[in-house]
Amino acid sequence: MARSVADRSIAPARDFFEQVGDMMILTGKTIVSAVRPPFPYGGEFILQFLFALRLCWFPLLISTVAFGYGAPGLQAANFLVLFGALDRLGGFFVLASIREFAPLVTAIVLAGVAGTAITADLGARKIREELDALQVLGVDPVKNLVVPRFLALMLVTGLFDIYALLFGIFGGILATLVYHAPLGPFWATFFTNASVTDLWGSILKCTCYGAIIAIVCCYKGMTASGGAAGVGRAVNQAVVISFLGIFAFNYVFTQTLLATHPEINVIR
Amino acid sequence: MSEEEKADRPIEPSDRVKVVQESAPGGAEEYRWHTGLNRPTGVPDAIEFIDVHKAFGRNKILKGLNLGLPEGKISMILGPSGTGKSVCIKHMVGLLYPDDGDVLVHGESVPNLRDEELFEMRKKFGVLFQDGALFGSMNLLDNVAFPLRQHTDKSEDEIMGIVNARLAEVGLTEAGDKMPNELSGGMRKRAGFARALVLDPDIVLFDEPDSGLDPVRTALLCELIQEIHEENGGAYTVITHDIMSARRVAEYIAVLWRGRIVEAGPAEELFNSDNDFVRQFLSGSAQGPLGME
Ligand SMILES: Nc1ncnc2c1ncn2[C@@H]1O[C@H](COP(=O)(O)OP(=O)(O)OP(=O)(O)O)[C@@H](O)[C@H]1O
Ligand SMILES: [Mg+2]
Repeated sequence: MARSVADRSIAPARDFFEQVGDMMILTGKTIVSAVRPPFPYGGEFILQFLFALRLCWFPLLISTVAFGYGAPGLQAANFLVLFGALDRLGGFFVLASIREFAPLVTAIVLAGVAGTAITADLGARKIREELDALQVLGVDPVKNLVVPRFLALMLVTGLFDIYALLFGIFGGILATLVYHAPLGPFWATFFTNASVTDLWGSILKCTCYGAIIAIVCCYKGMTASGGAAGVGRAVNQAVVISFLGIFAFNYVFTQTLLATHPEINVIR
Repeated sequence: MSEEEKADRPIEPSDRVKVVQESAPGGAEEYRWHTGLNRPTGVPDAIEFIDVHKAFGRNKILKGLNLGLPEGKISMILGPSGTGKSVCIKHMVGLLYPDDGDVLVHGESVPNLRDEELFEMRKKFGVLFQDGALFGSMNLLDNVAFPLRQHTDKSEDEIMGIVNARLAEVGLTEAGDKMPNELSGGMRKRAGFARALVLDPDIVLFDEPDSGLDPVRTALLCELIQEIHEENGGAYTVITHDIMSARRVAEYIAVLWRGRIVEAGPAEELFNSDNDFVRQFLSGSAQGPLGME
């Protein structure tokens, strides 16, 4: 009985780690298959890229402006006004928007909008045995379906990161204006704190988020089972696991970046 | 005692007893009708299952399946719903791997092939999946043309010629530009049938080609299978629930139940079998060893 209790509590954990392992394997296969000829995935790559772009640009615009204005903008401004240091909001936006919120909001929107679409699409194909039929017809689903989505999502998240941080900062500007402060000091502290490291760190991080979302969502779609309800379950799990993966990766990435580039720790 | 352990208690013992009761006395009775008799056909086997076991989690589907499907004949796999006929087909093309045992195609062990060899081997196959498995993003013409575009370097004109001929055979000439979700189940089946045959494969696997078709179309489809088989030869495997179809086209029959072969052999011999289960199944009678369970 003790054993069965142990089994029951260990089984889900074991299942989870098995899936994480499978996703790692899928990542490896995807990268190998992306660089090894032939390259039949160009058309699908462009389709997926445009698909993600079309689906996400508007939700992302709203999210980043609203988030930048609301969370770091108003809240931080409110706090800084206490010390009469509202000019520091610009410097804070380097930390908040460039380093953290722009990649994070991009990832959340991409996972929610494009990632779920990928899981639902692949899941439906799996359920209808289309993926089986493809394999029997000699088409490798990793090369023809996963690789283009993987590359497209990485490119899209990388580009959207720049887009998101621009609109995020716009939210900060709005907040400054709402406090009737001039914008000069905002930009001054912004540019004394911003560095090239911040920018490439942000883009690299966000690109990796894209990779995580693509792998998790493709994996969940391709392993969906149990009819239409199974696809629903797969989509739900894909989003949850994507977020977990993104947060875990963010911790590792931030820690590493701060350790290897101590100069960005200094607030000027 | 913790909360969790208390909650466990009422479920645990009864669970255990049930499992024991199910497998112990069942064991003797379960395979009463499984003589496993394989009457010789006089030709070598194109596909062989050797003591194949397959389980999904705790759900054991194949339990020591031994089966040979003869070269150059139309074989039928018959068996009650849910016994693992579709699972068998997926083993043949390497979409599923056995937990134990081996699957041979033309003497090659499918589970032991490397990925590239497997892709190569699959070119021998034409498969009609149970639900048609058409690609939802392409219209019928493109679906049927897909294998040709993938594996041959024929010109687009040649391809369209072949595709139209195949679609005409299954009566879908009009529907060529329709998307799969605009079609009825039976139409999707027939399109999948056309796609499976478009490369003139050596080994053809049809998973219930006749389900969802009206009686006349079923009869016509049976004739079509026979005609195409006469033209091309090769090992055809058809899964069906329709005894009429089996009587019409089967040259070899294997009856699958509870993860093993009950009996297999040339069609005439099986239709005259003295095995109660085989007799019940092939006559579709309610009386006999097979119940609803
Ligand atoms: N991928 C899978 N994962 C888990 N269980 C599966 C899977 N594929 C099949 N099964 C189980 O295997 C059993 C046999 O399935 P299969 O589809 O082979 O039946 P079948 O003989 O083709 O039945 P039918 O005549 O109704 O098509 C079913 O109980 C099914 O639940
Ligand atoms: Mg089936």
